[in-house]
This record gives sequence, C-alpha cells and structure tokens, in this order.
Amino acid sequence: MIELINLTKKFATLTAVDNLNLKINAGEIFGFLGPNGAGKTTTIKMMVGLLKPTVGKVIIGGRDISKEPLEVKKIIGYIPDRSFLYEKLTAREFLQFVAGIYGFTKKECSDKINSLLRLFGLEEWGDELIESFSHGMRQRLVLSSALIHNPKVIIVDEPVVGLDPKGSRLVKTVFKNLTHAGVTIFLSTHVLEIAEELCDRIAIIQEGKVIALGTMDELQNKVNCKDQGLESLFLRLTGGEEVSESIDALKLPVR
Amino acid sequence: MIFFLLLHSHVLSLKHRVTSFHGKEVIKPLIFFLIGLVFWTGTFIIFYRVLGYFQSIESLGDFLAAKLLSMVFLVFFSFLIFSNIITSLSTFYLSQDLQLIFSLPLSLSEIFFARLVDTILKSSWMVLVFGLPVFLAYGTIYHVSFFFYGLCLLVFIPFLMIASSVGVIITMTLIHFFPAHRTKDVLFVLSIIFLVFLFLLFRFLKPESLVDPERFASLLDYFAAMRSFSSPALPSFWATECLLPSLQSSYKGSSFFYFLMLWITSLGLLVTGNQVAARLYFHGWSKSQESRRLRLSQSSFFNRTIDVLVWPFSTPTRVMIEKDLKVFFRDTTQWSQLLLLLSLVIVYLYNFKVLPFDKSPIPSFYLQNLFSFLNLGLAGFVLAAIAVRFVFPAVSMEGEAFWIMRTSPFSLKKFLMNKFWMSLIPLVVVAEILTVMTNYFLKATLFMMIFSSITIFFMTFGITSLGVGMGAIYPKFKHTSSAEIPTGFGGLLYMMYAMGLIGLTVVLEARPVYILFTSHAQHTNLPLWFYGELGIALFFIGVINIVALVLPMRYGLKNLSSLEGLG
Repeated sequence: MIELINLTKKFATLTAVDNLNLKINAGEIFGFLGPNGAGKTTTIKMMVGLLKPTVGKVIIGGRDISKEPLEVKKIIGYIPDRSFLYEKLTAREFLQFVAGIYGFTKKECSDKINSLLRLFGLEEWGDELIESFSHGMRQRLVLSSALIHNPKVIIVDEPVVGLDPKGSRLVKTVFKNLTHAGVTIFLSTHVLEIAEELCDRIAIIQEGKVIALGTMDELQNKVNCKDQGLESLFLRLTGGEEVSESIDALKLPVR
Repeated sequence: MIFFLLLHSHVLSLKHRVTSFHGKEVIKPLIFFLIGLVFWTGTFIIFYRVLGYFQSIESLGDFLAAKLLSMVFLVFFSFLIFSNIITSLSTFYLSQDLQLIFSLPLSLSEIFFARLVDTILKSSWMVLVFGLPVFLAYGTIYHVSFFFYGLCLLVFIPFLMIASSVGVIITMTLIHFFPAHRTKDVLFVLSIIFLVFLFLLFRFLKPESLVDPERFASLLDYFAAMRSFSSPALPSFWATECLLPSLQSSYKGSSFFYFLMLWITSLGLLVTGNQVAARLYFHGWSKSQESRRLRLSQSSFFNRTIDVLVWPFSTPTRVMIEKDLKVFFRDTTQWSQLLLLLSLVIVYLYNFKVLPFDKSPIPSFYLQNLFSFLNLGLAGFVLAAIAVRFVFPAVSMEGEAFWIMRTSPFSLKKFLMNKFWMSLIPLVVVAEILTVMTNYFLKATLFMMIFSSITIFFMTFGITSLGVGMGAIYPKFKHTSSAEIPTGFGGLLYMMYAMGLIGLTVVLEARPVYILFTSHAQHTNLPLWFYGELGIALFFIGVINIVALVLPMRYGLKNLSSLEGLG
C-alpha cells in the first residue's frame, strides 16, 4: 500500500533522510521510531506532500505522490504532531469544512460528524470555537478530521501527544479496528509502549537511515535481547544506553 | 541584576536576527532603512522650514516655536501611553516566555522591572527615532550647544518612564477586570474607532476653510486656542518647560523645577507600578491563561445568508468560501479595518461632493472631466489601499493551519483562484461604487462615466491578482493578528507594484482622452491618427493589465507549491 523508494531529503549540507526504502502492506500498522532529529517528521512530510524529496519516490495506493498528488491525498488521512487549526471555526464547522474539501455535502456528513464528535468525547464542544480548546482536545479533533473521509491510509506523527490515558486508549482501539477494515497505518511515535502494543512491524531510523526493520521478535533476535521490551531494544540500537554515563553531568552543586 | 539577565535574552535574539542577514535578505532591511531615512529627513526638513518661517515672524516667532514644541510633546505623550498599553498587554500578559519566567525563582518585582524596561524599549524606540529630527531642527534653528542635546536625553528618560509606567498601570488595572485576550481585541477596536472618529471630525471641520481670509478669527481667539494645548499638570508641559530656556535665551521659566518634577514623578510612578504589580499582576496573568468559551448560534441569519451565497458552487469551493467568510467576520481586527475602510470611502466621496467648481476661473466642463479622469488614479489608489489590507493577507490568513490545505486533495491552483474570486467580487463592487458616485457628484459626461467604469473594472482584476499573488509570494503564516500581515516587505512591494499598474494605465489613457475632449469642446472632427494612437494605448494597457493578472498568480502558485514546512 505504501512504498518508499530511495527516499532522500537534503537541507543544504544536512541529509535528513538518507536513501530510505520501505514497503508497507495494506491493513498493516507500521511503527516508525527514532531519536529526536532522526528524520521521522521529514519522512512523513514527504509522504503527505508537504515536502518534496531531493531524490526518490513515495508511492501510496499505487500512485506516485509527486506525480498525482491530489489522487494520493484523497486516500490519505494525516495527523500531524502539532495541531494548528482554524481558530475561528467551531469543531463542527471544522469537520464540515474538511469533509467538504473531500466532496461530502453537509447532509452527507452530518451523521458521521456527530458520531466522530461522540467517539472522541467532543460532543459537548461541537459548537465551541477551536481557539478555546486545550491541546488534547485539538488532537482529538485532528484525529476526527483525519477519519472523516474514510481514508485507506492513515499517516500519524505522534498520535497520543497531549492525550490523557483515556484518549490514548481510545486511539489504540480506533487504530486496531481500522486495520481490521483494511486501513494501513504509518505511525511515528516516541511512546514505545504504543508501538510495542500496536505495530505489526517496526522500523528504527537514525540519522536518516533505517538501522533496524522487522517484527518485535525479529528485532529482538537481531540485537540478542530476547524477552526484553522495546525500550531496551531501542536504546541499544540507537546508542541511548550511554545515557546513564551522562547522568553524572546533571549532578550540579545545590545552592 | 536579574532583570538585565532577563533583558539579555531579547538583546541576543535581536543580535542573531541582525547577524543572520546575508545575501538577498539584506535587501528587505535596507529598503526599510531607506524609507525610514526618507521619513526622517522629511520630518527634519518640514520642522526646519516651519521653525525657520516662525523665526521670520517678529515677536510671535518664539511663541509659536514654543507652542509647537509643547504640541509635539503632547502628541508624543498620548502616543506613548497608548503604545505602552498595547505593548504591555503582550510583554506582561500574552508573551510566550512568561510561562518560563514565572516558573523561575524570581521575585515579582524583578519580573515587573524587567518587563517594564522591555516595554519601554519596544514601545518607545519609534518615538525616539522619529523624534530626533524634530529636536535636531530646533537645535539647528536656535544654534544651540551640545548641552541642549544632553538635556534632551535627560528629559526623555523620565518622560518615557512616566508614559510607560502609566501605560502598564492602566493595563494591569484593565486585565484585573477583563481577560487579556478580550482586552486586546476591545482596545484595538476602540483605538480604531477613535482614529476613525478623529479622521472624520477633522475632515468635516473643513480645514481648507481656515485659509479663507473671510473666516479668520481674531488673534485673541487664536492665542486662546493655542493655549488649550498645554496643561501644567501634564508631563509633556514639564518637558517643554525644561527645554525652552536652553533654546530661547529670552524665555523665563523654572527649568530646574520642571526637571525635578519629571524625575520625581517618574521614580514615584515606578514605585507605584511595583505596588500595583504586587497586588494585581500575578492574579491577572494567571487569569489570562484561562481559555474562554464562546457559544455561537448555529442557525443565525449570517449562516443562512452564507448558505445562499455559496449555493451555486461545488462542495469543496463552497466550504472554502464559507470557511473564509466565517474566519473573516469572527476576527475583530477585520471589523476595525472595515470601519477604517468605510471612513476612507465616505471621506473620499465627500471630498468630491464639496469641490467648489462654481468658484473656479476655469470652465467647469474641463475641470469636471479632468477630475473625473484623475479620479481613476485616485480610486485606483483607494482600491490598492483596501486590497493591501484585505486581499494581500488572503493567503496568509490561513495561518499555520495551511497544512490542512496542502495535505488535502484541493489543488493549490484552485485554492488561489478561490481567493482571487472571493477578493475580486467585493473589490469590483467598491470600485464601481467609488467611480460611479464620484462621477455623479462631479456631473461628468456619460462618456467619462462609462469610460472610467470600464477602466476601473479591468484595473480591479490586476489589483486583485497582484494582491493574491504577492500575498502568496510573501506569505506570513505565523502572525498574531491579521492587521500585521500587510505591514511587511511584501505589503510594501505590493503597494509599489499596484501604484505602478494604476499610474501606467492612467498615463497611457491620458493623451487619447485629452484629444477626445479637446475635439469635443472645439466641435472639430477627430484626426485619423487618433484612432491609431488610441489603438496603441489600449494595446499597451491590455498588455500591462494581463501581465498584472497572470504573473503574480503564477509566481504565487510556484512559491506556495515549493514551500517547505507548515505541518
């Protein structure tokens, strides 16, 4: 369903994404992990058409996003890490707007909007201006808007940032149900527990390159840490284990 | 001291902004610098000439120069207070870094004084920069020593401190009663209404009648009016009294007394401000963090009107128009800008209504049609001024939510065309109202009426396309208020291009229209070559307007497509 071929992005002298090759099947939840600045968001931005790759291709649903951007965007639902929205619209108006952009009339989407607002706990807030929303509420609204047009592919950058435990649980359930319906989910996250629980396969990226790819079992075998969680695996692969040595540096004299 | 450390972060950001300029980026600040320099020099020349003229009036000259100085200080003081209220709303309540600052182990006094200095610097630098040529002009005319400039500095410091403290105290009191976000909106709208009121009042007082000798009031009345500018209770009066003795040797006043008044008051106000802050600041800041809820009616007349208006379009276009209209009308800064626009149009039309053609020695047929023709340029200018406020920001109004459009299956070309048509239709309506009404007031010929209506109709296409296109070439997605979008380099460049378009169109039309009127007035037949000349003029007008229509949109689209980031 998703194919990244030799995907590369350079910003002046910095290579943010370096010759990335990935293939994600329909109905799969694919976890995309990596330390800060590894190139996760840059990859996602190329996948949704916000950035042009320096080299390489993004193929979604059999179409190249740089050649047929509108066709690809029709089947994508994108959830960014920071939810900038139209502050002067109400939640309901915002959802009507997004649905309208995908060609649904108010009548056609009215029931769907109500059920999404209910699902994400925003029913009471439907007629409030977005400017009065908390970060978590905005994130719930973005999630609703990404699902309004029944996308075949969902691309998520940090799905649970700002969400309370109830919200995170809800997101996990929704994602699982969507994959049962054949939706493909490409998920970038720092919350390893989510990746561990949800993802069929995981790619770990560092300095723009994939350093590990496979199911949890495959990754555990690769670094010889059977029965250990994703956190140890992640730290071992990305060199984070050295972190304990650096903790000494935090011991500043107390005044 | 801690507050120097807090200020240091601002100084560093400024330093990084200045040192990060390289290559093409230098052009922007350079153009702003040059415009500033022209304004600065202009102010100096105007004051120098006015003061020079005053000097030539025996016995009255020094009095007038003193009164002018007092007026300058009064204007500065009023402006500073207002500017400090607006600035302190940001520096004391809305600034992002306050979250960090309040979490640090700093006393409220330390935060208060650091923010006060920050406010003084941010709100007063412009007055200082543009005030300097005024004082230089005084210094040059009165051949003063360096003592005068040193004294100016010593007078300005407490003067700015007083204005700032008063502004900050007003803000803290206001925030105590209203939430910060609301206060900013309310103040902004109030200030614009105040400006519009002053503007209309000034216009309807007919200042041109003052130069009418028959209406000269007695000299005593004149002096009485001049006196009302200065009240001894105001710091602007004290500042004037401090400086006058060192300018005019004949002036007898207690300079030192007023100097002390300025300093004592400024220090007293600092203490008072600190006391007020101790009681109100933290409580107000904490309140400004709370979100507000605003329930909007779903079945209002407004929503139904929009539904009717957008009915003929396809669903994606319909929701785009709906969204833009709702966002526009829910933004209070847009309302105040609309008010400004309305007053501009009223004054514009009123001016044409009161033109005294009957008193002119030139036949009014010529004048009426000449004005009708010149009106094309003026109406074009009014349209450009409207467009820079409402059309140029059209793309930037998407704000940081622009990622929604970019990741949606709504093409950027369609998006820009949508913005174009949405801006064009109201602009054409305003353009035609302006042109037809002014021609009606001027009693211009039917030919002129039709001719100007057609020209302005096509010119509006170019003005709109330039606005939308330039707005896409120089977008400002990260803005806090829609009013700040046109204030940058792109807005300035837009005005220059729009003026060029209007100017060229009017210049190219001037000669054929002149020949047409002359032959009409002299009852002669039009020469054959006239048609050739008319054809060439129309061809070039067509080319210029097509270029203005096509190029900006094309470059705008190219820029938006290649934008990186936002999302």
